[in-house]
Amino acid sequence: MRAARVVRMQNVDLFGPIGLNHYLILSALLFVTGVAGVLLRRNIIVLLMSIELMLNAVNISFIAFGKYMNKLDGQVLVFFVMTIAAAEAAVGLAIAVNIFKRYKEVNIRFFEHLKG
Amino acid sequence: MTADTFLFWLLAILTLVSGLGVVLVANPIYSALCLAMTMVGVSAIFATLGALFIAGVQMIVYAGAVMVLFVMVLMLFDLRTEIATFSRGRFSGAVKIAVVGLLAGLLAGVFAMTTALSDGIAPSADQADATKSLGALLFTKYVFGFEALGILLLVIAIGVVGLARSKGGTHAKR
Repeated sequence: MRAARVVRMQNVDLFGPIGLNHYLILSALLFVTGVAGVLLRRNIIVLLMSIELMLNAVNISFIAFGKYMNKLDGQVLVFFVMTIAAAEAAVGLAIAVNIFKRYKEVNIRFFEHLKG
Repeated sequence: MTADTFLFWLLAILTLVSGLGVVLVANPIYSALCLAMTMVGVSAIFATLGALFIAGVQMIVYAGAVMVLFVMVLMLFDLRTEIATFSRGRFSGAVKIAVVGLLAGLLAGVFAMTTALSDGIAPSADQADATKSLGALLFTKYVFGFEALGILLLVIAIGVVGLARSKGGTHAKR
């Protein structure tokens, strides 16, 4: 048990030269920040910003894996993610404008009145 | 500490702090500012990873277009009525933060176990012609996804116009 832990700690050398793990952990932390934003904030605009944060975190993972496996496929996928993100922001903001126009507020609780 | 290491830590701290700023700052305009800073940081991280073309696209699309969209919509709103920034409930808030922490632990664990992958595979040295081969890959192996995204963008453009012209939209028929 102790040996396994020592091996694990040797593998994850945080303060040495920068490797794949650094980028992945940075990506994970950024993603988690975005999740916290989606869960905790009530302003619909900030919610959309948090979703953008999550998408960016995933992009960092893609690029890091692509570099360390020496392939370009990750970068192509980042293209796709960026396109989806821009489209999602456009639609989400349009809906937010509609909600604000009707209720004069951008709070998430007005989403339940979206019907009709 | 080499230059690469220093650059990574600088960019990582910049990105994480501004990412936290997006979530924690109460005023949405400052959130947008922090998000722009995060985008610039992520773009620089792409550059350190050798993906220079993607870094440029990130600057143009995210730090440019998407941020302009966000700030413009923010300007449409009357932000003085902003009262409750965070969702209510002390207990449910604690549960949400605990869930996020669990997710962080899981992700860190998964990534710590992928160490074997990074051993033995040398990082790509030359990025010459990377953009060219990226384009070739996009139009050969991923051409279906590319076309599907084109159709998706068309659908979304029409959908947003429809949303604006529907009942209660910004350009509704009178």
